[in-house]
Amino acid sequence: MNQLRILLQIAFRNLFSNFLNFVIGGIIFIGTLLFVVGSSLLNSMDQAMSKSIVGSVAGHVQVYSAQSKDELALFGSFNQPDLAELPDFSIIKPVLSGIDNVKSVIPMGVNNAQVAYGNTLDMVLEKLRKAENQKIRGNHSTELKTRIESYKTHVRQIVQVIKKDYGNLSVLSDEEAVDRENTVALNKASSDDFWRSFDRDPLGHLEFLENKIAFLLPDADFYSIGYAGTDLDSFKKEFDRMEIVDGQMVPQGQRGLLLSKFIYEHQFKMKAAQRLDDIKEAIEIRHSKIAKDPDLQFLIKQNKTQTREIILQLDPMATNSLTRSLQGLLKSQKTDLAELLPDFFDVNDENFISRYRFFYSDIAPLVELYRVRPGDTLTIKAYTKSGYIQSVNIKVYGTFQFKGLEKSGLAGGLSLMDLVSFRDLYGYLTPEKLLETKQLEKAAGARIIERDKAEEELFGADSSSSIVTTSRQAPIDEKKELGVIRKTDTSANRVYTQAEIDKGVVINAAIILKNPSKMKETMEKIGEVSNKNNFDLKVVTWQKAAGFIGQFVVVAKMILYLVVFIIFVVALVIINNAVMMATLQRTKEIGTMRALGAQRPFVLSMILVETVILGLTFGLAGTVAGSLIVGYLGQVGIPAMNDFLYFFFSGPRLFPALGAGSVIGAMTIIVVVATISALYPALMASKVSPLTAMQAEE
Amino acid sequence: MENVVSLVNVHKNYVLGKTTVLALQGVSLTVARGDFISIAGPSGSGKTTLLNLIGCVDIASSGQVIINGHDTHDLKERQLTELRLNTIGFIFQSFNLVSVLNVFQNVEFPLLLQHKLSAEERKSRVMELLKKVGIENHAKHRPNELSGGQRQRVAIARALVTRPALVLADEPTANLDSKTGETIIDLMKEMNQVEKTTFIFSTHDARVMAHAHTIINIADGQIVGSQTPAAKKAVLKISRGNKGKPASGTSSKKITGKSK
Repeated sequence: MNQLRILLQIAFRNLFSNFLNFVIGGIIFIGTLLFVVGSSLLNSMDQAMSKSIVGSVAGHVQVYSAQSKDELALFGSFNQPDLAELPDFSIIKPVLSGIDNVKSVIPMGVNNAQVAYGNTLDMVLEKLRKAENQKIRGNHSTELKTRIESYKTHVRQIVQVIKKDYGNLSVLSDEEAVDRENTVALNKASSDDFWRSFDRDPLGHLEFLENKIAFLLPDADFYSIGYAGTDLDSFKKEFDRMEIVDGQMVPQGQRGLLLSKFIYEHQFKMKAAQRLDDIKEAIEIRHSKIAKDPDLQFLIKQNKTQTREIILQLDPMATNSLTRSLQGLLKSQKTDLAELLPDFFDVNDENFISRYRFFYSDIAPLVELYRVRPGDTLTIKAYTKSGYIQSVNIKVYGTFQFKGLEKSGLAGGLSLMDLVSFRDLYGYLTPEKLLETKQLEKAAGARIIERDKAEEELFGADSSSSIVTTSRQAPIDEKKELGVIRKTDTSANRVYTQAEIDKGVVINAAIILKNPSKMKETMEKIGEVSNKNNFDLKVVTWQKAAGFIGQFVVVAKMILYLVVFIIFVVALVIINNAVMMATLQRTKEIGTMRALGAQRPFVLSMILVETVILGLTFGLAGTVAGSLIVGYLGQVGIPAMNDFLYFFFSGPRLFPALGAGSVIGAMTIIVVVATISALYPALMASKVSPLTAMQAEE
Repeated sequence: MENVVSLVNVHKNYVLGKTTVLALQGVSLTVARGDFISIAGPSGSGKTTLLNLIGCVDIASSGQVIINGHDTHDLKERQLTELRLNTIGFIFQSFNLVSVLNVFQNVEFPLLLQHKLSAEERKSRVMELLKKVGIENHAKHRPNELSGGQRQRVAIARALVTRPALVLADEPTANLDSKTGETIIDLMKEMNQVEKTTFIFSTHDARVMAHAHTIINIADGQIVGSQTPAAKKAVLKISRGNKGKPASGTSSKKITGKSK
């Protein structure tokens, strides 16, 4: 104890006695600083990200078929993974739910689908059609008449725009590239005759416009959306960070789609509004300045040049009122909205917020801000596994987001769909589908003919089948003809029982644990149970299930540790040399101690203690400095500069916290590095002969 | 009186490159307890080697070196260190204080290595010695804050703090001016009388030599003579007369230093 005291005394007093010690100390200081800051950041990020992944769709553990060729990648991988299905979830669910630590098992299937929706003209035509139908049904109010007239003027206005565009196109390209038929149709639709005769046969005129004109407006879009088919009720219950933003939750047991709010805002919202939102976010979160940020300037330029999206949507009344209010706002004499809007969108750092507010208070109410609104029915098309296209009409009930992950494109990349619709799109034959197919066969008079009898059946003498059906010339009774399909449409309102939802194909299942810290044991247990029941399941952590995203922090950590490791290896070599030099300078002192009666181990531990104390002192300084930095960052937060970081940070800012592990880790590394690097010099020092003490100084 | 040091026909050879230096060639010597002996001789005569062997920091090539009853030949390195710690005090030519420790800590150092005394006992022992060597007011000073003479006083206190049977001083005055050198020798002598500690010191300096009870002359690795105390002048003569040539009439290699 006393010896330790003198060792520590010597160590502390030697601390600043040698220039070399400052070199050693400096390296250790930087190394620990880096380690503490880096590991705190990564740990906080790891926690935040696990919150993002576990809390959005992954759950703690995921299971999927071991027959799968690829690995499950919930947040996408470089290509769509080839996963085998789990044929019947209703068998798996009760067994896995029975495991001790399992809180719940939520079925899933992740896929991509295409959504198509009409263009602006389609939208106006649909409104007009609805209004005309009301008129046919006997509504003769002046309000309806005004509305119909307004719609008609709006359609004429759009037709004029298309005609102008088309004229430009024929100037730009060869005559032949421009379809004569379209020119004729456009001429007809823009003629006064056409509109004079409109009221005589409104539905006929509408059909002409829908079939011949609407497709010429090139602003219709196909969107690809990623979705997870799941048991929506269980999902909502277990992923409690999920919240409905617009519209409502899909009613219990019914079919329906919940769009991710992120996707809704980024794909279905009017582009001009989206760009304004982006600029606002950049200014508020990243403190960007329009004057200095070329990206923002580009967004403004796009808004200035792409105003047609707004103009096309405005009927003459709206056009007039907006023109007036813009003239007032901009104090402009211009009368053309097409000139006023670019002026309006030409924003700068001073007027941005007021323009932004004006947009949402005065312009947004006049236009359709979103292409799809809660209550709309979307037609979703997806490729089934066997390669043909399935389509399902599905009602959008609303939008949802995960609390804290509102801005994350990765966490918000998936929309949610009921499991029954998912199975339809997946190509799985639900009992309903089977029934529908049979009914269609019956209605079409189709029969199953065996292959070897096919020829006879078709061409044989006593063939009863007629290849050509006689058709009657008569108006089509939509209701009767489409009866079969209508029937399936009613399934949109059908309430499915839990048993029906569970019965059938799923791709994977999320497992929520009661105690996440026992994840490893529970995973083993799930594996055991799966083997016993021949489920043939692959059990993976949320991290693995997330695909390459989940591995990101692991990789980042490995890089940090590698960097720290390299720093400390370099430090080790330098410290080793420095201690060696310092020891050589002290041979006389060491020799004296030996002569006075200090044993070799005393000298050995003296050098070791000195180096460790040196390391700990500067390491502690590095740790304190690092902790201060982490503390400061924890106060102000690190802003998520993009959607990617938003996901890793599990929010707009990451507030890193100092982990005890980082500090203990840093200290441990220092003690180890110091000990190892001082070991050889210490050994050498312990071999210094007491004779050196006797040698006279030169 | 028993002997603290007893050397019998001791040889010590060093290998330096291709040549072998015969540093000591058959030295026999006994030192009795309480003696105050000076070893005199020119550079390279072997006096440091002799002190190293007595001080147990080196081992004889042949012959017997018995320190306080222990034959150093039979001792392991660890036991030799133990022997140095408990039996021998060292005073060095260049003081060899631990620069980062203060005066008190330097003197306390051997006691800490010994593990024998409590903190309080150590403190009183150290302070008592600092008082005796007249440096108690500098207890908290670092060696580099002291003059050469003060430093050597600290070294003397350190050498005596374990109450060793024997104190070895290798040229203790060489780095001091002559006046300070003499006071240091006086102090050593005083300690020799008060503490009854045996002192063996080497020196060139005839005036310093004169303080010894017995002077042992060494040349070319052999003891060439010894003088007894009373004849201080004779000592001076002999030392002068010896300069540059082997002492005559000292054919016997075995000279026993007599105690007073």
